[in-house]
Amino acid sequence: MNEMIITINNRKHSVKINNSSEVEINNRKVPAEISQINNNAFLLRYNNKVFEITAHKLEKEKYGILIDGCYFDVLVRTQIQENANDLQKNKNISAKKLNIKAPMPGLLLKLKKNIGDSVKAGEPLLILEAMKMENEIRSPANGIVKEILFKEGQSVEKNSIILTFE
Amino acid sequence: MIKKILIANRGEIAHRIIKACRELDIISAAIYSEADKLALHVRRADEAYLIGPSPASESYLNKEKIIKLAKEIGADAIHPGYGFLSENAEFILMVEESGIIFIGPSSKSVKLMGEKTSARRLMKTNNVPIVPGTTAPIKSVDEGKKIAAEIGYPVMLKAAAGGGGKGMRKISNDEEFESAYNRAKNESLKAFGNDDVYLEKFIEHPKHIEVQILADKFGNYLHLFERECSVQRRHQKVIEEAPSIAVDELTRKKITNAAIDAAKACKYYNAGTIEFLMDSDKSFYFLEMNTRLQVEHPVTEMITGIDIVKQQIKIASGEKLTLRQEDIRIHGHAVECRIYAEDVDNNFAPSTGKIVHHRLTSGPGIRIDRGIDVMSEVPIYYDPMLSKVIAWGTDRNEAIVRMQRALGEYQISGVITNIPVFRWILKQKVFLDGTFDINFLDNDFMPLVPDKWKDTTSEEYEEVAAVLSALLKSKEQELSLSKNKIATSNLWRDQNYE
Repeated sequence: MNEMIITINNRKHSVKINNSSEVEINNRKVPAEISQINNNAFLLRYNNKVFEITAHKLEKEKYGILIDGCYFDVLVRTQIQENANDLQKNKNISAKKLNIKAPMPGLLLKLKKNIGDSVKAGEPLLILEAMKMENEIRSPANGIVKEILFKEGQSVEKNSIILTFE
Repeated sequence: MIKKILIANRGEIAHRIIKACRELDIISAAIYSEADKLALHVRRADEAYLIGPSPASESYLNKEKIIKLAKEIGADAIHPGYGFLSENAEFILMVEESGIIFIGPSSKSVKLMGEKTSARRLMKTNNVPIVPGTTAPIKSVDEGKKIAAEIGYPVMLKAAAGGGGKGMRKISNDEEFESAYNRAKNESLKAFGNDDVYLEKFIEHPKHIEVQILADKFGNYLHLFERECSVQRRHQKVIEEAPSIAVDELTRKKITNAAIDAAKACKYYNAGTIEFLMDSDKSFYFLEMNTRLQVEHPVTEMITGIDIVKQQIKIASGEKLTLRQEDIRIHGHAVECRIYAEDVDNNFAPSTGKIVHHRLTSGPGIRIDRGIDVMSEVPIYYDPMLSKVIAWGTDRNEAIVRMQRALGEYQISGVITNIPVFRWILKQKVFLDGTFDINFLDNDFMPLVPDKWKDTTSEEYEEVAAVLSALLKSKEQELSLSKNKIATSNLWRDQNYE
């Protein structure tokens, strides 16, 4: 029970919390004890060392963790969530729909494609202006533009879907 | 004597100038946009005034409003910091005409050096070596192609009004010319309000070496040695050092002399920087002059012990330089890392948000210049630089190991930063032995993005991160439980008071 699957840099770790002073990581028992300094700073006694760690929640299931100048994007799921997610993933692949999201907040400067245009992988789709720099967003795959959800001159939030194609 | 300075800037540099004002017993007046209401420079200044809405064009770039405010509040001087209006000759002229002291060079010097092609002409006539290329703006794609063929590809297109990497494009052949030309022109227009571009021969493996100078209004010129700024990404400096490991005594003598010649050529006063490209055979070429205080000025302050901002204020108020060249020496070595709010693995996208936790690093040889604190917002409108970590050591090696230690101690939460990139850079052989050139990050680092650059020796940290996140996740459930309990007890207490 209580097993969690943690994904960091595409590697998976299994962590079980045995009690308030012991965890089991990848089937190894390790003494571990957490103390909280504030909402985002923690002390973790792990084996014979105390680590000072900064953490913030990025979104549901996702944490950003900074240890000694090393940053980790961490995905935490219970075993059940992990299984459910695997199922979902298979579904998405069969749908073959691709969303182009804004990698950063910015201003949609120029759209280079119209609905119905065919696009090759690596072809420029749009130009997003952020922090006074023009960033060209290129297509990750071949396809046909299905929808365009923003107009030129509109500002877009990070991760908002700008266009979709099949 | 200057009694009150209006600081026409934000972020770490506004904060830095406030510190100099305080030490000189001068009143500091900050300006801020709506997005910066609680910014650190606003908290630290003696006075703070709302200047306008969040976009820079309506606030920190609003010339008329800034000068009007300076008059209203009785400021004798304006310090522009870097960026924004610092190199805007028109603004400086307006300040000069208003009778307020501009803490920086004259509008004439700025105009001469700001128009890059006229600066190149001026350098050429004063025997300061320049990169081969045009000394006038290019008028058409065809003209550009013709000149490119003459000097030979690859070439560099640059904004005549530019700086800071904006409006700059490398072109390797005729086919690339037109689109690069249009994008460079477009970017220049946006960033500088002028779309003139010129061509330079692209030098393959240069180092970026620059010289800090100080000059008073009486014709006295000094240099504060060189800085090494070759660690760059998309022409934006990432790490700077002083002195440069690649500059020997003879080259130092030549390049600092050339820098002073360049400053004299435009009758410069106040603090300024002359940037050069240096080839592997130690020949160097004038790149441009930055007619303002620079981001990386602290590394020079660390090795010379001279407070450049205070010198700027003294020079502006009409004092003579009391420093003598023969007394200025290089003491030890300093390195600076620029901490940016950016998500490196997500195409270096700016990371915006609220700083929810911030703990500075300290200890021997460490200095931090910062524009943020806990609860500061990192808005989308401005440059995403958060702070600068500067490490000093008796030699380069000590400065580097101190930097490594300091970056490990730096804690920040709420935005994603580029701190881990420095951990990578500071371990690279080419960085440590000093043989890197300005292509270092583009060639060695960029192919490893995203994710492949992540430290392989931090397996232990990865495990710790996994355990911590599992504990946090399980605590989340506990926390929601305890929340419920508190709510119940409150209810009970409320009833009691009624």
